[in-house]
Amino acid sequence: MTGSRGAEISIRGLEKSFGLLKAVDNVSIDIPSGEFLALLGPSGSGKSTVLMMLAGFEVPTGGAVLIDGTDCTRLPPQKRNIGMVFQHYSLFPHMTVADNVAFPLKMRGMGRAERRRRAGEALEVVRLGGYGDRMPSQLSGGQRQRVALARAIVYEPRLLLMDEPLSALDKNLREEMQLEIKRLHSELGITVVFVTHDQGEALTMADRIAILRGGRIQQMSPARELYERPANLFAAGFIGEMNMIPAAWDGSAMMLCQSDRVTPPPGAFVTTPANGRATLAIRPERVQVGAAEAPGSVGATLAEVVYAGAGTLVIARLDDGTELRARVPSAGLPRLSPGERIGLTLPPDALLVYAEESAA
Amino acid sequence: MNPRAILLNAYVYAVLIFILAPIVVILPMAFSEPDYLTFPPEGFTFGWFGEFFGNSRWMKATGFSLKIALLTAVTTSVVGTMATYALMRGAGRLGTLFQGMLIAPIVVPHIALAVALYLFFKQTGLSSTVFGYVLAHSVIAMPFVVFTVAAALSSVDPTLEDAAMSCGASRFDAFRLVTLPLVLPNVLSGGLFAFILSFDEPVISFFLAGIRDKTLPRMMFDDIEQNLTPIIPAIAVLLTGISVFVLLAAALLRHAAASRTASSPDG
Repeated sequence: MTGSRGAEISIRGLEKSFGLLKAVDNVSIDIPSGEFLALLGPSGSGKSTVLMMLAGFEVPTGGAVLIDGTDCTRLPPQKRNIGMVFQHYSLFPHMTVADNVAFPLKMRGMGRAERRRRAGEALEVVRLGGYGDRMPSQLSGGQRQRVALARAIVYEPRLLLMDEPLSALDKNLREEMQLEIKRLHSELGITVVFVTHDQGEALTMADRIAILRGGRIQQMSPARELYERPANLFAAGFIGEMNMIPAAWDGSAMMLCQSDRVTPPPGAFVTTPANGRATLAIRPERVQVGAAEAPGSVGATLAEVVYAGAGTLVIARLDDGTELRARVPSAGLPRLSPGERIGLTLPPDALLVYAEESAA
Repeated sequence: MNPRAILLNAYVYAVLIFILAPIVVILPMAFSEPDYLTFPPEGFTFGWFGEFFGNSRWMKATGFSLKIALLTAVTTSVVGTMATYALMRGAGRLGTLFQGMLIAPIVVPHIALAVALYLFFKQTGLSSTVFGYVLAHSVIAMPFVVFTVAAALSSVDPTLEDAAMSCGASRFDAFRLVTLPLVLPNVLSGGLFAFILSFDEPVISFFLAGIRDKTLPRMMFDDIEQNLTPIIPAIAVLLTGISVFVLLAAALLRHAAASRTASSPDG
């Protein structure tokens, strides 16, 4: 199955309206051959609708979808040669596993013996060799999803679409399948578009992640950049934990509530605020906990200490009530009790500044 | 067993007896020797069955009924399945209205339907034609097909067809190769219901019957009016037998369907 290279996708100004509701609003994505792209967003963000338009099940109300340079915007799904894995497996319950996997080959007019052989091969790829004669109902959830995967790749499509394929599986199985799909992706060199609402899944699996909200792309970047430098407050809050501290920008420093001055380095400015309200953001694992009145620290009152083995979550409040979380290694942490005054150090290279005001 | 359960059981049996008693009474009368109806029956003979099978008028009516019932079963299975599919998978706004019209014949008294059809068919020349009978019987049998197919279709995941199409199947192939096999047992059992409904439908046949072609129930009415011999209970026995057979077949079909999609190695 080697040698099949991935398709190159170009989504241009894609729009989809349902009545007055704009489910997808001016989405443009260029996906190079062989990329693993995750569409990440809360439910109703339009991520599945984008996928359905890629697959051909929904017709866009605007924009275009190009697969390998060919305009496929209005091409019906069965003519797109796309592999697709659905959320609830969608195996044909009245066919054996082998017949399920061979179905796309049958639709392409391939002979019976050849179908049988290729289906067997595809089942080997997903490590289900020998399961061909079973019925889908005799398989576990993870096995069913692997059959669905085999069915999607059996005719060597150049593009594989997955619509929250792991959400119906339990946690252990999900992690196993994540690695399995990753492995398949690198083995086959196929282009993958993967829809998920699970940020961990997106970070683990994808080369690049597009975050959607309200039908619009909020940010599209590789996992690391997404985590370390979210493009806006929504992306910052959606991926991982993020402290968001309301602050006033006076042109040279950020003033926190109790007149603590923080001077972020130039690189911290994701968006440049005008003088006035802005938001200072920092990941909890970058906040350091120290003694009150430590030089350069921000004073806070300890609200809660949650010990969790290797790490400890420290929840503190600034004087205006803003909650700040710090995730620190448990080792070497002094004994702290709620109500105590502590100092929180915010390393300059961990700071991010947003012109917007946080909702919190 | 607690008193409430005993009461409930007693009630259920009472209802069953009430429903079955008339049938149980009529059955032995078919084997009675005198040429008038008596209960309890006198003597024992299979003669009335012989009379029925040996009489060309009865056989002709039976043949005519079978032909109409068969055509009605085929028509309602095909049209009913298509209609149910459209109702459940389509997005049209007229769905509710359409559904109402399909199911209405259950609540509209058959006599009203019969009079209306009689007047309409007289104008259009459909009276006492096979096509007219099949049309009329299809109307009253359609709700039963719609209900049975709807029950099956509601348990078939619509994304299965999407999956088939993503595998390269056309929309029709997706239906034919995936959805249809999954609902087929219910389609067939709906068709069997339609067959039975048509085969012993008396009211509409009464209005549509011509001089030459009469359905079996219509012939039975004529016979009751004129002779009333035990040939009537004999036919009743045969009809009951067919009904029981068909209902069992329908139940088996649905059972087979359930076990096919549920378990067992080779389906």
